[in-house]
Amino acid sequence: MIATAETIEAPHVDWAGLSPLIAVFLGAIVVLLLGLSRSRSARETAVPLLSIATLAIAIGLSVGRWGERTDLIAGALRLDELTLILTILFCVAGIATVLLSWRHVAPRELAHGEYYALLLSSIAGMIVLVAAQNLVAVFVGLELLSIPLYVLCAAEMRRASSLESGLKYLVIGSVGSATVLYGLAFIYGATGSTDFGRIAEVLAGGDVASDVLLLTGVALTIAGMAFKASVAPFHQWTPDVYEGAPTPITAFMAVATKAAAFGVVLRLFDVALIDAALDWGPALAVLAAITIVVGNVGALGQSSLKRLLAYSSVAQAGYMLAGVVVATRLGLQATIFYIAVYLVMNLAAFAVIVARERETPLGDDISSLNGIGATRPALAWSMTISMLALAGFPATAGFIGKFYLIEAAVAGAYTWLAVFIVVGSMISLAYYLKVIAAIWMQPAEDDGTVVATEPVPLADGGETPLLAGGAEEATSARGQGELVGVAVVFAALTVILGIVPSPLLDVVRDAGAALGLL
Amino acid sequence: MDIGWFLAISALIFSIGAFGVLTRRSPLVILLCLELMLNAANLALIAFARMHGNMEGQIFALIVMVVAACEVTIGLGLIVAMRRRKLPIDVDEMQELRG
Repeated sequence: MIATAETIEAPHVDWAGLSPLIAVFLGAIVVLLLGLSRSRSARETAVPLLSIATLAIAIGLSVGRWGERTDLIAGALRLDELTLILTILFCVAGIATVLLSWRHVAPRELAHGEYYALLLSSIAGMIVLVAAQNLVAVFVGLELLSIPLYVLCAAEMRRASSLESGLKYLVIGSVGSATVLYGLAFIYGATGSTDFGRIAEVLAGGDVASDVLLLTGVALTIAGMAFKASVAPFHQWTPDVYEGAPTPITAFMAVATKAAAFGVVLRLFDVALIDAALDWGPALAVLAAITIVVGNVGALGQSSLKRLLAYSSVAQAGYMLAGVVVATRLGLQATIFYIAVYLVMNLAAFAVIVARERETPLGDDISSLNGIGATRPALAWSMTISMLALAGFPATAGFIGKFYLIEAAVAGAYTWLAVFIVVGSMISLAYYLKVIAAIWMQPAEDDGTVVATEPVPLADGGETPLLAGGAEEATSARGQGELVGVAVVFAALTVILGIVPSPLLDVVRDAGAALGLL
Repeated sequence: MDIGWFLAISALIFSIGAFGVLTRRSPLVILLCLELMLNAANLALIAFARMHGNMEGQIFALIVMVVAACEVTIGLGLIVAMRRRKLPIDVDEMQELRG
């Protein structure tokens, strides 16, 4: 026994390449254990600080690996610039989520350690997902991302709507996963391999590309991924789940989950299925057009900010899909660029929503923003910049992102889709400007609740449902420096990237070159 | 034996599962139907593995079983949490979130 064990060579594992993933996993375990500590300060301060440190380390390790392109774990994962830039984005979103959750009720209900450990494992799942170049790894990453999120959505266990959103997300998410899985099974059946490289070889070899097994598989995979990325007509869960989940988790889902879903769609379609592009391109293009219309029209009548941003995120998914449809390097770069700026714009908006949920008893209703232009200029400007950027105003990052996407669509012979993007942006102005009007043109609520330098008594919210971090969470305006900080930093980034986009463009160009598209 | 039969059975199970998710009102039965969908995919994977004569499909199916168990655990946990709060365990009555 011992003699044979000595002769067996241990498989080669590229620890350095795996280091960002390992850092996040280790962080999750340490955070979970630290959460068991009896000292309250360890639980309430050390745990979030350690989560931030973990994510910062993962960012550092990813930056250190920039420029490397290798296969990890026998080709199951791929380390390249696409993986790295998305890893960095997930970690940035994670740090922002930790800051937004700092004094939120949700981590307290889940005993701090568990909440942050789940958040970190979800981020680890995202990293696995976007690095995956094997169908098995795709499925494992997808589930590792989703399962912690189901729990996080239901984190505020004393609020019925939080539990409801958790269960709804679980059912819809699992239907999506099962559909993806069935699709992946058919792709495996048609090509005889789970490895992206082998699948691409078989498809390049000819006649399989129009095989009925393969087409069924691709169609089911598109449908399942559309559930995850909330692409219409598979988006119906999005507003309900976004509204019910704790707001920091909503922010995380809106930016990071979407980035992860698009990351894997990019790699799966642009590497493994690139030779079937004529089959899936038009299908995705139609989905993108429907998504843009449905998202923008759905957002028009919303009075809840979280629902409004949910529909807006559906519309934005449609814009991003346009970059996938064209299957060119330009499209890939445009999609990655848009994912990055979308993350920056949305985090600023969600930070403002969390702050206003704590300051007013109005929850996430649009009226909670009334008149904050005069009373809370920092929050007001952040929200204004974020809304203008989401609508695609010039001098914001959103404009550059949309410009790039439209350029990619036109260059890829999908001009009609570019028209949809432009028309969609025009419709979207109606609801984004509604928010800006509430900030600057509506009078503030007169009885001082808007300033809310003292906690609002819970009793007067008799008919107000207990909204996420609602009245009982109301804290003094001074006590939420971290929220204002997140809002201001991301709003500033939105403007900076809108005026000087070249650093991000350079990074995105590297990532676009990683997949070997023309 | 022809692979078509395995695929037909698998498609049938998947459809039963999808139909159940759409029409049943109890979250418990919905979870069962989700299991059906995942296991239909497992059947297809194993049939394809046999067809191609490689092990990748079998390994995939094993991993799917593990993941399915995790998913059901979370689902049952959520249902227990709702039960403890005396919320209606009926998806048609969950109307807190709409609009």
